[in-house]
Amino acid sequence: MNTWLRQHAFALTDAFKHLLHAPGSFGLNVLVVAIALALPFAGLTVLENIRPLSEQLAVEPEISIFMAMDTPRERVTALAPQIRRIVQDSRSTGKLEFVPREQALTLLKNKTGFSDAITALGDNPLPDGYILKLASFRDAGEATRIDMLAAQLKALPGVEYVQVDSAWVKRLAALLHVLRLVLFFLAATLGVVVMAVVFNTIRLQVMTQREEIEVCRMFGATNAFICRPFFYTGALLGLCAGAVALGMVATALGPLNGAIVEFARLYASEFQLAPLNFSIEIALLAMSAGLGLIGALLSVKRHLGRIS
Amino acid sequence: MIEFQQVSKHYGRDSIALADITLSIGKGELVFLSGPSGAGKSTLLKMIAAIERPNSGTIAVNGQNICRIKSSGIPYLRRSLGLIFQQQTLLNDRSVLANVMLPLLVAGNPKADAEKRARAALDKVGLLDKSPFFPMSLSGGEQQRVAIARAIVNRPQIILADEPTANLDRASANKVMDALNDFHGVGVTCLIATHDEQILNGASRVIYLERGRLAREANP
Repeated sequence: MNTWLRQHAFALTDAFKHLLHAPGSFGLNVLVVAIALALPFAGLTVLENIRPLSEQLAVEPEISIFMAMDTPRERVTALAPQIRRIVQDSRSTGKLEFVPREQALTLLKNKTGFSDAITALGDNPLPDGYILKLASFRDAGEATRIDMLAAQLKALPGVEYVQVDSAWVKRLAALLHVLRLVLFFLAATLGVVVMAVVFNTIRLQVMTQREEIEVCRMFGATNAFICRPFFYTGALLGLCAGAVALGMVATALGPLNGAIVEFARLYASEFQLAPLNFSIEIALLAMSAGLGLIGALLSVKRHLGRIS
Repeated sequence: MIEFQQVSKHYGRDSIALADITLSIGKGELVFLSGPSGAGKSTLLKMIAAIERPNSGTIAVNGQNICRIKSSGIPYLRRSLGLIFQQQTLLNDRSVLANVMLPLLVAGNPKADAEKRARAALDKVGLLDKSPFFPMSLSGGEQQRVAIARAIVNRPQIILADEPTANLDRASANKVMDALNDFHGVGVTCLIATHDEQILNGASRVIYLERGRLAREANP
């Protein structure tokens, strides 16, 4: 165990020694990898900030059923059991409320502040209607089911118009889904870029240390002994780049939030982007180090074989 | 200690490096390999260190058939050998001390212990005062003695030296040979490839190779 630890300590020291031997080159490589990582990190920061917002928005979707003006009140009220059955058949649960046209007019007068204008109309222009409040839904798939339910309700006799007010929630859910996919592909692509940069860095290092590798082999160095410093170099490169990328994103949040706060205020919101939480940052650093390690692993496997 | 049984090595069809070599070297022997350039001296040494593999025949070191050794076992074989080459292969970006410590660190020895043993090895070849220097600042003879110190620091059972005195003046060559003789004196098996006639004059056993074949053996 002591020997194993000693060998790792030696490899880590060796990796640091080589990095410090050419700090400029290492710094530039870190910067290139950091820029590649900063983009998905920034995307993740935005998504992580929007996600709770979208979850709060996942409210009970409301379906408004407007009857034709000439439908008699008895036929309107007789429709309630049919609506409940349709809701039940569609495996949904919800609360159905009948809104007579008189009540609707009162509500409209109270809510909009156009009381005088509405009174001036004379006749009540509003029809009888129902408001169906369904249980909350979260994703676009569930929203499709609600659209189907709305279509069934529209087919009922005497129904003039059905309005589903969850469309914008559905759009947001779909948009978030697309954003998540875009972020995933962006992260995957840039992950490959990171590995390619590390691959090339390690390739150059293997070539530079060719003589040292040959001498070490001559004196009984195992492949693990030779490879370890390169693995540590790759992981260190990834780790440093990850830290720099997180720093870049955190730095950019300041001026960005200035603009966002002003924009959000126009919509009576106090929304602003918060930095990623600590556990996510640790996970991203580990992932960056992992990408560096994989790049080093692939490079060492390919180029060390050529030396032997 | 070292057994060659009908060992042959060729590169392609026409280039024969070794042909049907059978020889035996006992423990503690000092044996010289001689012959013209291209006779196969270096190839023979490389085969003992498993740097080259034979096309046919068997090579045994300490009773172990090294032709059957897996590549993962080669490092452990090499740790029991001390290798000295014509070109010193010292690392120029490391101090003399760091160069000599290398085989010990490779074997997983603690740094403090490696440093102590490396200083002792440098003392044996008379270069302790050169420890902090870089190889490029030493003469050819001194560099070769550093290479010897590096080869013996692991206390090997066998020393393989390929033209250790080539390109050295007589005084330096004698110092190198004195160092190797000292190790032979404490029971280390030494196999030295050379065509330096002056060194061969005092040899106890010389194996002559010609065109990859065992031409003759002399026990003056």
